[in-house]
Amino acid sequence: MIRSPNAIRAYQQQRQPLTFARASFYAFFLIAATSWGFILLSGDSGLTDLFTSKTWGNAGRFLSAMLGLNSELTPAYLQASRWMDTGKLAYHTLAMSVLAIGIAGIGAFLTLLLAARNVSNGDLGGAPSRAGTVAYHVTRASYIFSRGVPELVWAMIIVFFLSPGILPGALALGFHNYGIVGRLTAEVVENLDPAPARALRAAGASNTKMLLYGILPQALPQFITYLLYRWEVVIRTTVVVGFVSSGGLGREFILRLSWFHYTDVSVIIVWYLALVIGVDLLSAWLRRLARFE
Amino acid sequence: MGAFLWSLTSVNWGGPIIHTGGGWSAIQFLTALFPPDFSPDFLAIAFKATWQTVTYAVAGITLAVAIGLPLGIIASGTILKESSPWRTPLIASTRLLLGALRAVHELVWAVLLVAAIGLSPMAAIIALALPYAGILGRIYAELLQDVRQQPLQALRAAGASPLRVLLYGYIQMALPDMLGYSFYRLECGIRAAAIMSFVGIPGLGFQIQLSMHDLLFSQVWTLLMFLVALIVLVDLWSTRVRRSLLA
Repeated sequence: MIRSPNAIRAYQQQRQPLTFARASFYAFFLIAATSWGFILLSGDSGLTDLFTSKTWGNAGRFLSAMLGLNSELTPAYLQASRWMDTGKLAYHTLAMSVLAIGIAGIGAFLTLLLAARNVSNGDLGGAPSRAGTVAYHVTRASYIFSRGVPELVWAMIIVFFLSPGILPGALALGFHNYGIVGRLTAEVVENLDPAPARALRAAGASNTKMLLYGILPQALPQFITYLLYRWEVVIRTTVVVGFVSSGGLGREFILRLSWFHYTDVSVIIVWYLALVIGVDLLSAWLRRLARFE
Repeated sequence: MGAFLWSLTSVNWGGPIIHTGGGWSAIQFLTALFPPDFSPDFLAIAFKATWQTVTYAVAGITLAVAIGLPLGIIASGTILKESSPWRTPLIASTRLLLGALRAVHELVWAVLLVAAIGLSPMAAIIALALPYAGILGRIYAELLQDVRQQPLQALRAAGASPLRVLLYGYIQMALPDMLGYSFYRLECGIRAAAIMSFVGIPGLGFQIQLSMHDLLFSQVWTLLMFLVALIVLVDLWSTRVRRSLLA
């Protein structure tokens, strides 16, 4: 019989010293408690509202409005033309997400060699150069910056300069994901088998040739897998970026909501979910293909 | 590749890509970097906004863990007996729920919640917590299923109740990975909290929006630097925690 679970716990702690993690855990608890305290105590947090019948009545009315109950108008989901119009926007949204992944992929692909430490320090053959080190740090800094700024903030900035449409949204999504895909892929390059690249370098191959024949064949499946994973995230975010860059489903969503066309909102959400699920399935299928290469 | 080319065709290249005055404001925006606005008054605003973003992110993540953990445990099927007739439908429906939470972006949740229950900090926190609970629940379920089976069998053989097997077997073994992943999500939560500004929640995103609308681009740069610095800090922290947990 195990009578003393504490003994198991003591054993586990002994096996894995969790000092830094443990300290972080307590620190996080402290921050969490302070945060909740701040939110609940400084002004009206809306927590008490959650338990009033008025709030739930409003929520119920909102839901029934979305379902088109108690309304003499024909709900949008019974009109084929609405489905078609929204479908066209869903098509734009899909195009926007593909464009965004393309931008991120091209950006990450072009900077791949610069951002990998084993390339810049000469581990894959070739001499370490000052220029290589500088390029490494500059590229990594660009990854951090582009990753740190959320898509929506990128979009807010970009719509200041570009005409509204799907391009600014795709650029915003592309900039954010460039940093993410770039960092992940650079780590793949840092961890891959250095032998083929070294052999090529020793045979006098240029940087481009080393990338094409020494690094790419090994890193490509992983690179594509990351791009496809990010595509799944991007398709969810495209709608949000559309709020400000006014392309695709996002703008329509915000407009219909502010016009109180709630049944149209339902149609948009259904298209949105269809896109998300469709992209998830497609990406899972493509990822399997990429792995079998 | 073909898909990318197809997506290029749907951009309206015919119209003006850069709108009137866009080029000029782009130059203004870039030159505003030299120097960013580091006046004491504005730094105070930036620090306050950073702190607000942190509070919303942390509150959202804790709520997400509180929702995601029980759902994840149910979805992993570890507390349900193999023979129970409820097992398959319960697991399937929990997985569906987690998938539905995850499918909708946090800001879409926020817009819907604000429309349904009104604008309040709680609405933003719940909006952040819902998709994150979906992600965390799914990952928790996978981690709980992947634990080594032998210690569990030992516990069961020793007569431990299912709850004890869960607490001292499954959770004990999956805990480092679960904590590590939750810490990783904190970084994403910070970004998500920053963009909650769109529905009017104070924080870095809100300040960026304000400065942008006032055309005070040097302030935007300062705020962007605060945001990036915050993300980098949280990233470093969570990386170290994960390394320490998994070592």
